[in-house]
Amino acid sequence: MQRIPISELKAGMVVAKAITNESGMVLLSEGTTLTDSLIVRLGRMDLSHIAIQGASSSDKSRAELLSELDHRFEKTGKERYMDVIKGVLKARIEEVFQ
Amino acid sequence: MDPKLLRSQIEQIDTLPTIPGILRKLLAVIENPKISLTEIGNFISNDPVLTSRVLKMVNSPIYGFPGRISSVQQALILLGLNVVRGLLLGVSVFEVMQKSMVGLWEHSLGCAVTARIIAKKKNIPEPEEISVSALLHDIGKVVLILRFKEEYERVIKEAELKDILIMEAEKEVFGITHAESGAWVAKKWNFPLSLVEVIEYHHKPSLSKTVTIQSAIVHLADILTRSVGFGFAGDNYVPAVNPTAWELLDLSDAELREIIDEMDHTLQEAGDFLLGDESG
Repeated sequence: MQRIPISELKAGMVVAKAITNESGMVLLSEGTTLTDSLIVRLGRMDLSHIAIQGASSSDKSRAELLSELDHRFEKTGKERYMDVIKGVLKARIEEVFQ
Repeated sequence: MDPKLLRSQIEQIDTLPTIPGILRKLLAVIENPKISLTEIGNFISNDPVLTSRVLKMVNSPIYGFPGRISSVQQALILLGLNVVRGLLLGVSVFEVMQKSMVGLWEHSLGCAVTARIIAKKKNIPEPEEISVSALLHDIGKVVLILRFKEEYERVIKEAELKDILIMEAEKEVFGITHAESGAWVAKKWNFPLSLVEVIEYHHKPSLSKTVTIQSAIVHLADILTRSVGFGFAGDNYVPAVNPTAWELLDLSDAELREIIDEMDHTLQEAGDFLLGDESG
């Protein structure tokens, strides 16, 4: 899940978290696929970002993200406890692309 | 370089002609140990750039009081003199960071966010103080850049060419790292000992005697910020976590995951602020 600015929304993206109005009424439920007309309506609301499923803030591929992660941990990945940190980060990347 | 000479040269950076005006004015105020809350409040309020930066910072998702703090006086009451002094120093070195090491400002903000999140998770009192220590943990890089511009450019080049960590390159060129130079100026500028220690030991938190847990938090915040690839601190590598610090913080995999998720979320929300845009 990533929070995407309203201006960068595109039709076909899937809402990851229900969008509610001030009184808590659900306007768009989790799992809704955005259409152009929905995006126009979202633009009229007082929202800056919405949560989108599976999106990544960059357009990097899974392979790119994993290789960058490997590179950052290249010198210290084998040190004590570094596998724990790297493991959590790897799991997050994998989830995004599921 | 002789460490004693190095230290005295660094401690005198406020007399350098090349130092940014905003920082010179600020140092004159914060170096005075007898300064009162009212005096510092007036000083900041008289400077519109400082006022806007500090208020923007405390009202950003980085500090988590969104929209609640409307004046410098209120910030001083809510956060205390030391936190505000630290924030002032942080926002005053912003330009130096932007100019000399692109990404260092983002790295510092990333650490500030992360340290606050870890401190809250561990129920440590005064998470804002820890967050400010994290914001300033690399201040030693800024003072080395200010005082020894050419030598530091060599450090940056060397780290890149030899593919080593920036602190290793600093050691080769200066014989010390930014942890030492940062602690020297923090002491000189009358910051509390807790802040001095966190800066001095952010690579070796188990050596900190009085603020071991705070040092461990900033140490881990530094590592996590680099681990997610946010900002740039002089090299592209994650340094090893200090095992004693890791064990002291005792985070489960699930807690670590929650911390990273919250970091990611907060840093995205803080996006506009992170760009350092001065218009708002």
